[in-house]
Amino acid sequence: MQILRPFIYAAIAVLPVTVMATVDDALSFAYEAATPYVKQGFSMREDAWGGDLGVKDQKAVTAQLFKGNEYWFLTGTDTRNAVVTVSVYDSNGKLVQTDAWQRGRFSGAKVVPARSGTYYAIVTVHKSPDERTRWALVYGYK
Amino acid sequence: MFHYLLSPTIILLMGSVAFAQTPPQQIDLSKFPAKSVEDVVVPVPSEIFIVLDKLGTPNWRGELPATLGDSTGNRAQVALLLGTVIADGFIAVQAQDAVKVKDIGQKVLQLADAINVRKAVIARSKSITEQADAKNWLAVRREFDGALQDVRGAMVELGDHDLAQLVSVGGWVRGTQVLTSVVSQNYSPAGAELLNQPQLLDYFIEQIDGLDNPRLKREALVVRVRKILRDLRPIIAKAESRPVSPENVKKINRMTEETVSAITSGEG
Repeated sequence: MQILRPFIYAAIAVLPVTVMATVDDALSFAYEAATPYVKQGFSMREDAWGGDLGVKDQKAVTAQLFKGNEYWFLTGTDTRNAVVTVSVYDSNGKLVQTDAWQRGRFSGAKVVPARSGTYYAIVTVHKSPDERTRWALVYGYK
Repeated sequence: MFHYLLSPTIILLMGSVAFAQTPPQQIDLSKFPAKSVEDVVVPVPSEIFIVLDKLGTPNWRGELPATLGDSTGNRAQVALLLGTVIADGFIAVQAQDAVKVKDIGQKVLQLADAINVRKAVIARSKSITEQADAKNWLAVRREFDGALQDVRGAMVELGDHDLAQLVSVGGWVRGTQVLTSVVSQNYSPAGAELLNQPQLLDYFIEQIDGLDNPRLKREALVVRVRKILRDLRPIIAKAESRPVSPENVKKINRMTEETVSAITSGEG
C-alpha cells in the first residue's frame, strides 16, 4: 500500500481503466463517509491511502497526531457487502478511539489524543465476497 | 480524479453506530508484519498551528517571512524551498493575510515551474487566489494541502521520489521553526508537547539517508539538512517522556531558523 495518488498513477500504467475506476471509487466512498465531518468543521487531508486486502488481512497507517486536536479516520470500499473497519491504537498498542462505527461500505473512528505522538490506524477487511477488497482511508482534524 | 458522492443516507448511518467487529483493546504492535505498516503520515503544518491557536493567541503575522526566498536553480534547494513556502502558506492562512496568501500561491507556482511540476499546481494556485479574495480560509488551507500533495505526486510520477521527500522535509523544518518560535514566546508544557515527534523525525532521517541520487545526497544543503535532523533527534527523543524544556525549545528554534535561512538563501 502507498499514498493513494501515486497508487492511482501506477494503476493507470498497468491496469485496465475499469479496474482503475474502482480504486477511485473506494476513495469516493471514503470521502462520502467524511462528508458529515467536513460539515462539522473537520479539515480533511488531501492525501489518502488505499490498496487491496484479502479477508482478515490488515494494514496499518502510521500517523503523527497532536494533543489538542480531534481526528476522524474514515474508510470506504467499493465492494458491496464487504465489511472493512478502521481502529486506532497508540504506540503502546492501546485502543484509543473514543467513537467508532461501521455500516455498509463505510467505517470511521474518532480519536482525541491524550498525548502528541505516533498512532496507528489499522484497516481490517473482516469479510468480503471478493478475494481482494479495495479500500481507501482518509482523515480529518479540527 | 477524487470526487465526492454526496449522500444524505450517510448521515443516518452515523447515527446507527453499528460496529459489529469489536476491535481488541490492546494489540502487540511488534507482531504486526512490517510489510503491513505504512510509513509515517507527514502532518501538514496547520494540524499543529490550530492547536497553538487553542492554547493562546499567537502573533501569526509576526511569524510570516519578510521574503519568500529565491530559487538558485539547484533542484534540491528548490524542492526544500517549495516545502518551506507551502508551510508559509499555512502561516498566512492562520494570519488571515490575503495578500501574503496570494504572493505565496504565485511563488508555489514559480517554484513548481523550476522543477517541471507547474502543471500539477496551476489550478491550485488559481484557487488559492480566488479563495483568499473571498477570505475562505478553510478552502485556502485545503488548497495548500492539495498543492503539497499534487507537487509530491507529480514528482513521484516523474520518478523524482527524492525531490518529493525534500519538499516534505523543507515543510517540516519550517513548521518546526514556527512552532518553537510561538512556544518560546509564551512557553507552556502543552505547547512544547507538540514537539513529541520522534518517529516522524526518524522517518525523515531515513528518507534523507536513503536518497537514491548520490549527487543529490552530496549537495551541501542536503548534507546540512541531514545534519540538523540528526542533531535534533536526541532533543526530540526526550519529548517522549516529558515536554521539551524552554531552553531546548529555543535551541530547536535556533537550529531550524538557521536551516530555513540556508534553504531560502540557497547557501549550503
